[in-house]
Amino acid sequence: MTKTMSYYPGCSSQASAVHLDTSLRAVMGKLGVQLRDVEDWNCCGASVGHIEGGHLGQAALSGRNLANAQAAGDEDFVTPCAACYLNSHYTNEKIRENPTVKAQVNEALAEAGKSYDGGLHVRHACEVIVNDIGMDKVKDQVTNPLTGMKIAGWVGCQTVRPFAKTDRGGMWETYDDPSFLDDFVTACGAEAVPFKGKTKCCGGSVSVMSPDKTLHLMKDILDEVKTSGAEAVVTPCPLCQTNLEMYQPEINKKFGTDFNFPVLFYSQLMAVAFGLEAKTDAALHQHLIPPVSLLSRAK
Amino acid sequence: MNAPSPTPTKKYDLSFARWVYDNIDGGDRMALCMQCGTCSGSCPIGTQMDHGPRKLFMMIRAGMKEAVLTSNTLWNCVSCYNCVVRCPRKVPVAYILHDLATVAVREGYAEARNSDNARFAKAFWWSAAKYGRTDERLVTGKYYFSFGIGEGYKRGMANLPIAMGMIKTKRMHLGMPHKCSNTGELHKILAKAAEIEARDHGKQG
Ligand code: SF4
Ligand code: SF4
Ligand code: SF4
Ligand code: SF4
Repeated sequence: MTKTMSYYPGCSSQASAVHLDTSLRAVMGKLGVQLRDVEDWNCCGASVGHIEGGHLGQAALSGRNLANAQAAGDEDFVTPCAACYLNSHYTNEKIRENPTVKAQVNEALAEAGKSYDGGLHVRHACEVIVNDIGMDKVKDQVTNPLTGMKIAGWVGCQTVRPFAKTDRGGMWETYDDPSFLDDFVTACGAEAVPFKGKTKCCGGSVSVMSPDKTLHLMKDILDEVKTSGAEAVVTPCPLCQTNLEMYQPEINKKFGTDFNFPVLFYSQLMAVAFGLEAKTDAALHQHLIPPVSLLSRAK
Repeated sequence: MNAPSPTPTKKYDLSFARWVYDNIDGGDRMALCMQCGTCSGSCPIGTQMDHGPRKLFMMIRAGMKEAVLTSNTLWNCVSCYNCVVRCPRKVPVAYILHDLATVAVREGYAEARNSDNARFAKAFWWSAAKYGRTDERLVTGKYYFSFGIGEGYKRGMANLPIAMGMIKTKRMHLGMPHKCSNTGELHKILAKAAEIEARDHGKQG
Protein backbone atom coordinates (compact mmCIF):
# COMPACT_ATOMS: atom_id res chain seq x y z
CA MET A 1 0.00 0.00 0.00
CA THR A 2 1.40 3.34 -0.94
CA LYS A 3 0.81 6.48 1.03
CA THR A 4 1.39 9.94 -0.42
CA MET A 5 3.00 12.74 1.57
CA SER A 6 3.95 16.31 0.75
CA TYR A 7 7.72 16.64 0.59
CA TYR A 8 9.77 19.73 1.32
CA PRO A 9 13.40 18.87 0.53
CA GLY A 10 15.00 22.23 1.41
CA CYS A 11 17.88 24.00 -0.31
CA SER A 12 20.54 21.63 0.98
CA SER A 13 18.89 18.86 -1.06
CA GLN A 14 20.29 20.54 -4.17
CA ALA A 15 23.75 21.12 -2.79
CA SER A 16 25.64 19.98 0.30
CA ALA A 17 23.11 17.30 1.26
CA VAL A 18 22.11 15.97 -2.13
CA HIS A 19 23.13 12.51 -0.86
CA LEU A 20 20.46 12.74 1.85
CA ASP A 21 17.80 13.62 -0.71
CA THR A 22 18.78 10.85 -3.13
CA SER A 23 18.95 8.12 -0.51
CA LEU A 24 15.82 9.20 1.34
CA ARG A 25 13.74 9.22 -1.84
CA ALA A 26 15.04 5.74 -2.67
CA VAL A 27 14.19 4.22 0.72
CA MET A 28 10.85 5.97 1.09
CA GLY A 29 9.75 4.30 -2.14
CA LYS A 30 10.69 0.93 -0.64
CA LEU A 31 8.82 1.77 2.56
CA GLY A 32 5.63 2.54 0.67
CA VAL A 33 5.66 6.33 0.86
CA GLN A 34 5.21 8.36 -2.27
CA LEU A 35 6.84 11.78 -1.80
CA ARG A 36 5.10 14.54 -3.70
CA ASP A 37 7.34 17.61 -3.86
CA VAL A 38 5.86 20.89 -2.67
CA GLU A 39 5.22 22.92 -5.77
CA ASP A 40 7.98 25.49 -6.39
CA TRP A 41 9.15 25.39 -2.74
CA ASN A 42 11.43 28.12 -1.41
CA CYS A 43 14.11 28.40 1.27
CA CYS A 44 12.86 28.47 4.88
CA GLY A 45 15.39 31.10 6.04
CA ALA A 46 17.32 28.66 8.25
CA SER A 47 18.59 30.04 11.56
CA VAL A 48 19.59 33.47 10.24
CA GLY A 49 16.74 34.65 7.97
CA HIS A 50 15.06 36.70 10.69
CA ILE A 51 18.12 38.92 11.19
CA GLU A 52 17.82 40.51 7.78
CA GLY A 53 14.31 39.56 6.71
CA GLY A 54 12.56 40.11 10.04
CA HIS A 55 10.18 37.89 11.85
CA LEU A 56 7.36 38.16 9.42
CA GLY A 57 9.63 37.76 6.40
CA GLN A 58 10.86 34.52 7.88
CA ALA A 59 7.29 33.38 8.59
CA ALA A 60 6.21 34.32 5.06
CA LEU A 61 8.87 32.01 3.59
CA SER A 62 7.48 28.99 5.42
CA GLY A 63 3.95 30.33 4.86
CA ARG A 64 4.35 30.15 1.10
CA ASN A 65 5.65 26.57 1.27
CA LEU A 66 2.78 25.50 3.50
CA ALA A 67 0.23 27.26 1.28
CA ASN A 68 1.59 25.56 -1.83
CA ALA A 69 1.50 22.20 -0.08
CA GLN A 70 -2.05 22.69 1.13
CA ALA A 71 -3.19 23.70 -2.34
CA ALA A 72 -2.10 20.25 -3.52
CA GLY A 73 -3.80 18.34 -0.72
CA ASP A 74 -4.10 17.76 3.00
CA GLU A 75 -1.35 15.16 3.26
CA ASP A 76 1.29 15.72 5.92
CA PHE A 77 4.16 18.08 5.13
CA VAL A 78 7.40 16.12 5.52
CA THR A 79 10.95 17.42 5.54
CA PRO A 80 14.28 15.69 6.12
CA CYS A 81 16.16 18.82 7.23
CA ALA A 82 16.35 19.75 10.92
CA ALA A 83 16.31 23.49 10.30
CA CYS A 84 13.53 23.28 7.71
CA TYR A 85 11.55 21.20 10.19
CA LEU A 86 12.09 23.72 12.95
CA ASN A 87 11.08 26.71 10.85
CA SER A 88 8.12 25.08 9.12
CA HIS A 89 6.84 23.57 12.35
CA TYR A 90 7.28 26.81 14.26
CA THR A 91 5.51 28.95 11.67
CA ASN A 92 2.77 26.38 11.31
CA GLU A 93 2.09 26.42 15.06
CA LYS A 94 2.13 30.20 15.14
CA ILE A 95 -0.39 30.41 12.30
CA ARG A 96 -2.56 27.85 14.02
CA GLU A 97 -2.41 29.39 17.49
CA ASN A 98 -1.89 33.11 17.01
CA PRO A 99 -4.63 34.95 15.11
CA THR A 100 -2.44 38.02 14.60
CA VAL A 101 0.32 36.03 12.92
CA LYS A 102 -2.23 34.10 10.89
CA ALA A 103 -3.75 37.34 9.61
CA GLN A 104 -0.35 38.89 8.89
CA VAL A 105 1.03 35.90 7.00
CA ASN A 106 -2.17 35.57 5.02
CA GLU A 107 -2.17 39.25 4.15
CA ALA A 108 1.31 38.77 2.68
CA LEU A 109 0.35 35.55 0.89
CA ALA A 110 -2.71 37.26 -0.59
CA GLU A 111 -0.32 39.33 -2.72
CA ALA A 112 0.16 36.15 -4.71
CA GLY A 113 -3.43 34.96 -4.41
CA LYS A 114 -2.48 32.36 -1.80
CA SER A 115 -3.68 31.52 1.68
CA TYR A 116 -2.92 29.08 4.45
CA ASP A 117 -5.03 28.17 7.47
CA GLY A 118 -2.56 26.25 9.67
CA GLY A 119 -4.30 22.96 8.97
CA LEU A 120 -1.40 20.83 7.77
CA HIS A 121 0.76 18.64 9.98
CA VAL A 122 4.48 19.28 9.74
CA ARG A 123 6.59 16.16 10.21
CA HIS A 124 10.23 15.19 10.27
CA ALA A 125 11.06 12.35 7.87
CA CYS A 126 12.61 10.28 10.70
CA GLU A 127 9.54 10.64 12.80
CA VAL A 128 7.33 9.54 9.92
CA ILE A 129 9.37 6.36 9.51
CA VAL A 130 9.42 5.68 13.25
CA ASN A 131 5.75 6.36 13.96
CA ASP A 132 3.80 5.86 10.74
CA ILE A 133 5.80 3.18 8.99
CA GLY A 134 7.40 1.45 11.95
CA MET A 135 10.77 -0.16 12.50
CA ASP A 136 9.35 -3.59 11.70
CA LYS A 137 8.72 -2.48 8.12
CA VAL A 138 12.27 -1.18 7.97
CA LYS A 139 13.57 -4.56 9.16
CA ASP A 140 11.38 -6.35 6.61
CA GLN A 141 13.16 -4.53 3.80
CA VAL A 142 16.66 -5.47 4.92
CA THR A 143 18.19 -7.98 2.50
CA ASN A 144 21.81 -6.99 2.98
CA PRO A 145 22.37 -6.57 6.73
CA LEU A 146 25.34 -4.45 7.73
CA THR A 147 26.67 -7.11 10.05
CA GLY A 148 29.76 -6.17 12.02
CA MET A 149 29.63 -2.43 11.35
CA LYS A 150 29.98 -0.33 14.50
CA ILE A 151 28.15 2.96 14.24
CA ALA A 152 27.69 5.99 16.51
CA GLY A 153 24.24 7.55 16.16
CA TRP A 154 24.58 11.31 16.35
CA VAL A 155 21.20 13.03 16.32
CA GLY A 156 22.41 16.60 16.74
CA CYS A 157 20.13 19.20 18.23
CA GLN A 158 17.41 20.59 16.01
CA THR A 159 15.96 17.24 14.98
CA VAL A 160 14.69 16.83 18.55
CA ARG A 161 14.90 20.37 19.94
CA PRO A 162 12.80 22.29 20.51
CA PHE A 163 10.18 19.99 18.93
CA ALA A 164 10.42 16.46 20.29
CA LYS A 165 6.63 16.69 20.37
CA THR A 166 5.05 15.65 17.12
CA ASP A 167 2.50 17.66 15.23
CA ARG A 168 0.17 14.68 15.53
CA GLY A 169 0.37 14.63 19.32
CA GLY A 170 2.66 13.03 21.87
CA MET A 171 6.42 12.91 22.05
CA TRP A 172 8.37 10.98 19.49
CA GLU A 173 11.65 11.27 21.32
CA THR A 174 13.45 12.73 24.29
CA TYR A 175 15.39 15.98 24.10
CA ASP A 176 18.61 14.62 25.51
CA ASP A 177 18.92 10.92 24.84
CA PRO A 178 16.91 9.98 21.77
CA SER A 179 17.02 6.33 20.77
CA PHE A 180 15.51 6.36 17.28
CA LEU A 181 18.80 6.60 15.44
CA ASP A 182 20.17 3.56 17.25
CA ASP A 183 17.00 1.74 16.24
CA PHE A 184 17.70 2.52 12.59
CA VAL A 185 21.27 1.29 12.97
CA THR A 186 20.25 -2.01 14.55
CA ALA A 187 17.35 -2.48 12.13
CA CYS A 188 19.94 -2.31 9.34
CA GLY A 189 21.91 -5.09 11.01
CA ALA A 190 24.78 -2.95 12.29
CA GLU A 191 25.84 -2.40 15.88
CA ALA A 192 24.79 0.85 17.57
CA VAL A 193 27.68 1.56 19.93
CA PRO A 194 27.00 3.43 23.18
CA PHE A 195 27.69 7.05 22.30
CA LYS A 196 27.56 9.94 24.72
CA GLY A 197 27.49 12.77 22.23
CA LYS A 198 24.03 12.00 20.85
CA THR A 199 22.56 15.47 20.98
CA LYS A 200 25.72 17.52 21.21
CA CYS A 201 25.75 20.56 19.01
CA CYS A 202 28.23 21.05 16.16
CA GLY A 203 27.79 24.81 16.09
CA GLY A 204 25.27 24.82 13.24
CA SER A 205 25.42 27.86 11.03
CA VAL A 206 27.96 29.53 13.32
CA SER A 207 30.33 26.74 12.24
CA VAL A 208 29.69 27.69 8.64
CA MET A 209 30.43 31.39 9.15
CA SER A 210 32.99 31.34 12.00
CA PRO A 211 34.47 27.86 12.42
CA ASP A 212 37.16 29.23 14.75
CA LYS A 213 34.46 29.69 17.38
CA THR A 214 33.14 26.15 17.19
CA LEU A 215 35.80 23.67 16.02
CA HIS A 216 36.18 22.58 19.65
CA LEU A 217 32.47 21.62 19.77
CA MET A 218 32.97 19.28 16.83
CA LYS A 219 36.19 17.97 18.33
CA ASP A 220 34.24 17.00 21.46
CA ILE A 221 31.79 15.03 19.35
CA LEU A 222 34.60 13.30 17.45
CA ASP A 223 36.38 12.47 20.73
CA GLU A 224 33.20 10.73 21.87
CA VAL A 225 33.00 8.87 18.56
CA LYS A 226 36.54 7.66 19.06
CA THR A 227 35.86 6.55 22.63
CA SER A 228 32.76 4.70 21.49
CA GLY A 229 34.75 2.44 19.19
CA ALA A 230 32.60 3.30 16.19
CA GLU A 231 34.02 3.23 12.67
CA ALA A 232 31.50 5.74 11.33
CA VAL A 233 28.93 8.28 12.46
CA VAL A 234 25.34 8.37 11.28
CA THR A 235 23.08 11.42 11.46
CA PRO A 236 19.71 12.58 10.13
CA CYS A 237 20.69 16.26 9.78
CA PRO A 238 22.07 17.77 6.56
CA LEU A 239 24.14 20.44 8.25
CA CYS A 240 25.41 18.06 10.94
CA GLN A 241 26.69 15.78 8.20
CA THR A 242 28.43 18.54 6.28
CA ASN A 243 29.96 20.26 9.30
CA LEU A 244 31.28 17.15 11.01
CA GLU A 245 32.69 15.79 7.78
CA MET A 246 34.23 18.84 6.19
CA TYR A 247 35.95 20.20 9.27
CA GLN A 248 37.83 17.06 10.27
CA PRO A 249 41.05 18.12 8.48
CA GLU A 250 40.95 21.52 10.19
CA ILE A 251 40.21 19.98 13.57
CA ASN A 252 43.17 17.64 13.10
CA LYS A 253 45.37 20.59 12.25
CA LYS A 254 44.22 22.66 15.20
CA PHE A 255 44.17 19.96 17.88
CA GLY A 256 46.75 17.48 16.60
CA THR A 257 44.15 14.71 16.28
CA ASP A 258 43.87 12.14 13.50
CA PHE A 259 40.13 11.90 12.92
CA ASN A 260 38.95 10.44 9.64
CA PHE A 261 35.43 9.22 10.42
CA PRO A 262 32.93 8.86 7.60
CA VAL A 263 29.69 10.70 8.46
CA LEU A 264 26.65 9.04 6.91
CA PHE A 265 22.94 9.65 6.69
CA TYR A 266 20.56 7.10 8.22
CA SER A 267 18.90 6.92 4.82
CA GLN A 268 22.17 5.80 3.23
CA LEU A 269 22.47 2.98 5.76
CA MET A 270 18.97 1.86 4.89
CA ALA A 271 19.62 2.12 1.16
CA VAL A 272 22.62 -0.21 1.43
CA ALA A 273 20.85 -2.57 3.83
CA PHE A 274 17.83 -2.70 1.52
CA GLY A 275 20.15 -3.88 -1.24
CA LEU A 276 19.72 -0.74 -3.31
CA GLU A 277 22.35 0.59 -5.67
CA ALA A 278 25.49 2.12 -4.08
CA LYS A 279 25.71 5.16 -6.30
CA THR A 280 22.31 6.02 -7.72
CA ASP A 281 20.35 5.14 -4.55
CA ALA A 282 22.73 5.33 -1.58
CA ALA A 283 24.87 8.14 -3.08
CA LEU A 284 27.94 6.78 -1.31
CA HIS A 285 30.29 8.50 -3.77
CA GLN A 286 29.32 11.92 -2.43
CA HIS A 287 31.43 11.93 0.71
CA LEU A 288 34.55 13.95 1.39
CA ILE A 289 35.64 11.08 3.66
CA PRO A 290 34.75 7.91 1.73
CA PRO A 291 32.70 5.43 3.77
CA VAL A 292 35.00 2.54 2.90
CA SER A 293 33.40 -0.19 4.97
CA LEU A 294 29.86 0.67 3.91
CA LEU A 295 31.00 0.81 0.29
CA SER A 296 32.49 -2.66 0.58
CA ARG A 297 29.11 -3.98 1.73
CA ALA A 298 27.07 -2.19 -0.94
CA LYS A 299 25.62 -3.74 -4.05
CA MET B 1 9.43 45.48 16.27
CA ASN B 2 10.50 48.17 13.87
CA ALA B 3 9.97 50.99 16.29
CA PRO B 4 13.27 51.74 17.96
CA SER B 5 13.25 50.53 21.52
CA PRO B 6 13.28 53.13 24.31
CA THR B 7 16.61 53.95 25.93
CA PRO B 8 16.41 53.98 29.71
CA THR B 9 17.71 57.15 31.29
CA LYS B 10 18.35 55.89 34.79
CA LYS B 11 19.23 52.61 36.44
CA TYR B 12 16.36 50.13 36.80
CA ASP B 13 14.27 52.14 34.38
CA LEU B 14 11.88 49.44 33.12
CA SER B 15 11.01 51.06 29.80
CA PHE B 16 13.35 48.86 27.76
CA ALA B 17 12.34 45.72 29.65
CA ARG B 18 8.68 46.49 29.03
CA TRP B 19 9.39 47.07 25.38
CA VAL B 20 11.09 43.66 25.21
CA TYR B 21 8.11 41.99 26.93
CA ASP B 22 5.77 43.49 24.34
CA ASN B 23 7.79 43.40 21.14
CA ILE B 24 10.06 40.39 21.24
CA ASP B 25 8.97 36.90 20.33
CA GLY B 26 8.59 35.15 23.68
CA GLY B 27 9.32 38.38 25.54
CA ASP B 28 6.14 38.06 27.57
CA ARG B 29 7.48 34.82 29.04
CA MET B 30 10.81 36.43 29.81
CA ALA B 31 9.01 38.34 32.53
CA LEU B 32 8.72 34.99 34.36
CA CYS B 33 12.47 34.30 34.40
CA MET B 34 13.53 33.40 37.93
CA GLN B 35 17.27 33.70 37.29
CA CYS B 36 17.96 30.04 38.00
CA GLY B 37 20.77 29.86 35.43
CA THR B 38 19.67 26.58 33.84
CA CYS B 39 19.89 28.21 30.41
CA SER B 40 23.43 29.47 30.80
CA GLY B 41 24.47 26.21 32.43
CA SER B 42 23.12 24.19 29.48
CA CYS B 43 24.71 26.36 26.84
CA PRO B 44 27.47 24.66 24.85
CA ILE B 45 29.02 27.99 24.02
CA GLY B 46 28.33 29.80 27.29
CA THR B 47 32.00 30.19 28.14
CA GLN B 48 32.49 32.14 24.91
CA MET B 49 29.66 34.56 25.67
CA ASP B 50 30.36 37.84 27.41
CA HIS B 51 27.10 37.29 29.30
CA GLY B 52 25.09 34.08 29.33
CA PRO B 53 21.34 34.31 28.69
CA ARG B 54 20.48 34.44 32.41
CA LYS B 55 22.66 37.48 32.97
CA LEU B 56 21.47 39.10 29.78
CA PHE B 57 17.88 38.87 30.96
CA MET B 58 18.84 40.46 34.24
CA MET B 59 20.57 43.25 32.34
CA ILE B 60 17.39 43.85 30.35
CA ARG B 61 15.50 44.33 33.59
CA ALA B 62 18.22 46.61 34.86
CA GLY B 63 17.72 48.83 31.84
CA MET B 64 21.18 48.15 30.36
CA LYS B 65 19.96 48.41 26.80
CA GLU B 66 23.21 49.26 25.09
CA ALA B 67 25.20 46.55 26.86
CA VAL B 68 22.51 44.05 25.89
CA LEU B 69 22.33 45.01 22.24
CA THR B 70 26.11 45.09 21.82
CA SER B 71 26.62 41.81 23.65
CA ASN B 72 28.20 38.90 21.76
CA THR B 73 25.68 36.58 23.44
CA LEU B 74 23.33 37.41 20.58
CA TRP B 75 25.90 36.25 18.04
CA ASN B 76 27.52 33.29 19.69
CA CYS B 77 24.29 31.39 20.23
CA VAL B 78 24.51 28.27 18.07
CA SER B 79 20.76 27.57 18.18
CA CYS B 80 20.99 24.21 19.94
CA TYR B 81 17.74 24.89 21.87
CA ASN B 82 19.00 23.28 25.08
CA CYS B 83 17.92 26.39 26.96
CA VAL B 84 14.45 26.36 25.44
CA VAL B 85 13.64 22.79 26.42
CA ARG B 86 15.25 22.99 29.86
CA CYS B 87 14.02 26.31 31.21
CA PRO B 88 11.77 25.52 34.19
CA ARG B 89 9.70 28.62 33.47
CA LYS B 90 9.27 27.80 29.78
CA VAL B 91 11.02 30.96 28.67
CA PRO B 92 11.83 30.52 24.96
CA VAL B 93 15.38 31.73 25.55
CA ALA B 94 16.89 31.17 22.10
CA TYR B 95 13.96 32.82 20.33
CA ILE B 96 14.41 35.88 22.51
CA LEU B 97 18.13 36.04 21.71
CA HIS B 98 17.41 35.70 17.99
CA ASP B 99 14.90 38.52 18.06
CA LEU B 100 17.20 40.74 20.09
CA ALA B 101 19.85 40.15 17.42
CA THR B 102 17.46 41.47 14.79
CA VAL B 103 16.75 44.52 16.96
CA ALA B 104 20.46 45.19 17.48
CA VAL B 105 21.08 45.15 13.72
CA ARG B 106 18.07 47.31 12.94
CA GLU B 107 18.96 49.86 15.55
CA GLY B 108 22.37 50.16 13.98
CA TYR B 109 24.77 49.03 16.72
CA ALA B 110 28.18 48.66 15.10
CA GLU B 111 29.02 45.52 17.13
CA ALA B 112 25.88 43.93 15.75
CA ARG B 113 26.24 45.10 12.17
CA ASN B 114 29.86 44.04 11.96
CA SER B 115 29.29 40.64 13.51
CA ASP B 116 29.94 37.58 11.37
CA ASN B 117 26.31 36.59 11.82
CA ALA B 118 24.86 39.87 10.57
CA ARG B 119 27.13 39.75 7.52
CA PHE B 120 26.28 36.12 6.88
CA ALA B 121 22.56 36.77 7.41
CA LYS B 122 22.68 39.57 4.88
CA ALA B 123 24.25 37.34 2.24
CA PHE B 124 21.89 34.50 3.11
CA TRP B 125 18.74 36.60 2.95
CA TRP B 126 19.85 38.15 -0.32
CA SER B 127 19.99 34.70 -1.92
CA ALA B 128 16.84 33.36 -0.24
CA ALA B 129 14.75 36.41 -1.10
CA LYS B 130 16.09 36.98 -4.59
CA TYR B 131 16.19 33.40 -5.87
CA GLY B 132 13.89 31.68 -3.40
CA ARG B 133 16.76 29.28 -2.68
CA THR B 134 20.04 29.67 -0.88
CA ASP B 135 22.98 28.93 -3.06
CA GLU B 136 25.79 27.97 -0.69
CA ARG B 137 28.48 29.14 -3.14
CA LEU B 138 27.04 32.59 -3.59
CA VAL B 139 26.21 33.02 0.07
CA THR B 140 29.70 32.12 1.30
CA GLY B 141 31.32 34.18 -1.47
CA LYS B 142 29.26 37.24 -0.67
CA TYR B 143 29.84 36.74 3.04
CA TYR B 144 33.62 36.44 2.68
CA PHE B 145 33.86 39.56 0.54
CA SER B 146 31.74 41.56 2.98
CA PHE B 147 35.00 41.82 4.96
CA GLY B 148 36.73 43.54 2.02
CA ILE B 149 38.62 42.22 -0.97
CA GLY B 150 41.79 41.20 0.84
CA GLU B 151 40.05 39.38 3.67
CA GLY B 152 37.52 37.89 1.26
CA TYR B 153 40.31 36.45 -0.83
CA LYS B 154 42.06 35.11 2.26
CA ARG B 155 38.94 33.41 3.58
CA GLY B 156 38.12 32.05 0.14
CA MET B 157 41.59 30.54 -0.21
CA ALA B 158 41.43 29.04 3.28
CA ASN B 159 38.16 27.40 2.34
CA LEU B 160 39.35 26.24 -1.08
CA PRO B 161 40.14 22.62 -0.17
CA ILE B 162 36.63 22.17 1.20
CA ALA B 163 35.06 23.87 -1.83
CA MET B 164 37.07 21.68 -4.21
CA GLY B 165 35.98 18.58 -2.31
CA MET B 166 32.35 19.66 -2.48
CA ILE B 167 32.61 20.26 -6.23
CA LYS B 168 34.30 16.91 -6.77
CA THR B 169 31.59 15.07 -4.85
CA LYS B 170 28.88 17.01 -6.71
CA ARG B 171 27.65 18.78 -3.59
CA MET B 172 28.41 22.17 -5.04
CA HIS B 173 27.52 22.94 -8.63
CA LEU B 174 29.15 25.34 -11.04
CA GLY B 175 26.25 26.57 -13.19
CA MET B 176 23.55 29.16 -12.62
CA PRO B 177 22.14 29.50 -9.10
CA HIS B 178 19.24 27.25 -8.15
CA LYS B 179 16.03 29.23 -8.00
CA CYS B 180 12.27 28.99 -7.68
CA SER B 181 10.38 29.33 -10.92
CA ASN B 182 7.99 31.93 -9.55
CA THR B 183 10.39 34.36 -7.93
CA GLY B 184 8.17 37.32 -8.84
CA GLU B 185 5.45 35.96 -6.62
CA LEU B 186 7.88 35.41 -3.76
CA HIS B 187 9.20 38.97 -4.07
CA LYS B 188 5.67 40.34 -3.76
CA ILE B 189 4.96 38.24 -0.66
CA LEU B 190 8.19 39.29 1.04
CA ALA B 191 7.73 42.97 0.20
CA LYS B 192 4.28 42.83 1.73
CA ALA B 193 5.57 41.01 4.80
CA ALA B 194 8.13 43.78 5.38
CA GLU B 195 5.43 46.41 4.95
CA ILE B 196 3.12 44.69 7.44
CA GLU B 197 5.91 44.28 9.97
CA ALA B 198 6.67 47.99 9.81
CA ARG B 199 2.99 48.86 10.10
CA ASP B 200 2.02 46.47 12.90
CA HIS B 201 5.02 46.70 15.18
CA GLY B 202 4.20 46.03 18.80
CA LYS B 203 1.39 43.61 17.99
CA GLN B 204 2.36 40.35 19.61
CA GLY B 205 3.39 37.98 16.88
S1 SF4 C 1 17.23 24.77 6.38
FE1 SF4 C 1 18.55 25.77 5.15
S2 SF4 C 1 18.76 24.74 3.37
FE2 SF4 C 1 16.99 23.93 4.44
S3 SF4 C 1 15.49 25.19 3.09
FE3 SF4 C 1 15.87 25.90 5.11
S4 SF4 C 1 17.31 27.47 4.60
FE4 SF4 C 1 17.25 26.31 2.89
S1 SF4 D 1 24.15 19.43 15.48
FE1 SF4 D 1 24.71 21.15 14.31
S2 SF4 D 1 23.77 21.04 12.31
FE2 SF4 D 1 22.87 19.51 13.60
S3 SF4 D 1 21.06 20.42 14.36
FE3 SF4 D 1 22.66 20.94 15.86
S4 SF4 D 1 23.53 22.80 15.15
FE4 SF4 D 1 22.28 22.01 13.51
S1 SF4 E 1 16.50 28.83 32.56
FE1 SF4 E 1 14.69 30.11 32.31
S2 SF4 E 1 14.17 30.81 34.38
FE2 SF4 E 1 16.25 29.98 34.45
S3 SF4 E 1 17.55 31.77 34.13
FE3 SF4 E 1 17.24 30.89 32.13
S4 SF4 E 1 15.44 31.93 31.31
FE4 SF4 E 1 15.50 32.35 33.49
S1 SF4 F 1 20.15 27.93 21.97
FE1 SF4 F 1 21.81 29.39 22.10
S2 SF4 F 1 21.66 30.29 24.11
FE2 SF4 F 1 20.40 28.46 24.12
S3 SF4 F 1 21.76 26.92 24.97
FE3 SF4 F 1 21.93 26.80 22.74
S4 SF4 F 1 23.63 28.13 22.20
FE4 SF4 F 1 23.06 28.60 24.30
